[in-house]
Amino acid sequence: MIRFQNVTKIYRSRGNPVVALEDVSFQIQKGEFVSIVGKSGAGKTTLIRLLIQEEQPTQGEIFFKGKSIQKMTERDVQYLRRKIGVIHQDYKLLKGKTVRENVEYVMQVIGAKDKDIQRDVPQILEIVGLGNRQESFPEELSGGEKQRLAIARALCHRPEVIVADEPTGNLDLYNTFDIINLFKKIHSFGQTIILATHNKEVIDGLQKRVITLEKGKVIRDDPEGKFIL
Amino acid sequence: MFTNLKRILKFGWQGFSRNMGLGSQAIFIITVAVLVITSLIIFNELSNFLISQAREKVDIAVYFKKEVPESEILELKQELSKFSPGIENISYVSRAQAQENFLQRHKEDPLYLRALEEVGENPFLSYLNIKAKSPNFYAQISDFLTSGPFQNMIEKISYYESEKIINRLFSLTNNIKLGGILLSLILGILVVLITFNTVKLTIFAFREEISTMKLVGASNWFVRGPFLVQSLFYGIFAVLIANLVFFGIFNFLNSRIENWILGFSILDYFQENFLMLLVIQIIFAFVLGIFSSLIAVRKYLKV
Repeated sequence: MIRFQNVTKIYRSRGNPVVALEDVSFQIQKGEFVSIVGKSGAGKTTLIRLLIQEEQPTQGEIFFKGKSIQKMTERDVQYLRRKIGVIHQDYKLLKGKTVRENVEYVMQVIGAKDKDIQRDVPQILEIVGLGNRQESFPEELSGGEKQRLAIARALCHRPEVIVADEPTGNLDLYNTFDIINLFKKIHSFGQTIILATHNKEVIDGLQKRVITLEKGKVIRDDPEGKFIL
Repeated sequence: MFTNLKRILKFGWQGFSRNMGLGSQAIFIITVAVLVITSLIIFNELSNFLISQAREKVDIAVYFKKEVPESEILELKQELSKFSPGIENISYVSRAQAQENFLQRHKEDPLYLRALEEVGENPFLSYLNIKAKSPNFYAQISDFLTSGPFQNMIEKISYYESEKIINRLFSLTNNIKLGGILLSLILGILVVLITFNTVKLTIFAFREEISTMKLVGASNWFVRGPFLVQSLFYGIFAVLIANLVFFGIFNFLNSRIENWILGFSILDYFQENFLMLLVIQIIFAFVLGIFSSLIAVRKYLKV
């Protein structure tokens, strides 16, 4: 479903090259639950940004369902992004919209009917524990609430792939396992999930495939791996 | 399509009503822009009015020697009418009529009346008052009178005396018009640039949201649409405020302006042409807002 082929990404910082990813290659099949682990700066977030074409790789190519993302038209990129629900590390919430409207927006983007939106959005907000904060604005939410809103937004339109970049970074232990259990449940319905984290307990508890990044390189790819750094 | 349009309108209204702080700056600037553009239109109308007033006031008078009989003057009047199609109107004023006119004009001024009594006989000359359709014809008419067989009848032609004034008046009105166009251009450009910058700053505050909208797969039109709708609301409010300001100012100043510029009622002009002005204002405000938003959003859509 997703294939990274010899992908290198080099940023420029004050004229000096900074290698974020170096010759990264791997494949993710439909329905897989893959964790990407690594220290801060290992390249996890860059990987996600490349996948949704927020950034272009310096070298190499990324394929989604056999189609090169780099060769996609603008319209194709729109559809690609609708198929990948991303939980960003910095949440990327719409400040001018309420909690409910943030989730609704994604469904409106894909052209969902009003009655479906009215049915699904309160449900998903209940699931992530924001049922009573529907009319609040993001800046009125705590860090954990913002994170849960970002999760609700990524899940609501049932994308083909869910990509989560540190989705539990701001959650307490109780909420963390709630969210991970939610991911597991969604995965059990056949959903592809990519989880980037450096939370050892989460990874060790999952017992799913783990890709380990270090200084921009894939150093390990275990089918039922553990958090080893 | 219809659902998307409905959603874009809703988002536009939400953006407008929830960001009044930012929006009020844009509304203020567009209001100023509408005020400037409308003032320029009214100024142009006013200068046209002044020019036409000046043109109407221009005529030439041909004074005849005392001994010339009335029949010859009337003959000349007929000749003149045949001579030039540029003549709008010729009126004959006899010596007696000229004196009567003078008496009427100064009936409350004993100094003039006494002076006239002192002179004894009627000192006034009979004359033809000639009004041309365009000031360009006056030189031609004057040449015809002075070079033809009639020249011996003529005592003087007022055109020669007022020629310099007439020419100066026309060059002045032309200069006013040219100055008006230049001023309009400069002010117009300034107003457009300032409005564009203000709208750009307003949208700059939303750059992260625009990028997020793109990252969740929104199409360019789904993202930019609400900003365009928002700029339409700015335009509507700006036009509304600008017209309230105009009504207030014109109501207050109308009588003063009317006295100052004889016979031009700015309030009447504004009321009679309100629909036309409103259409121009709305088109101007909408085009300005939409154009500024389109350019400002475009930069952040490249995600």
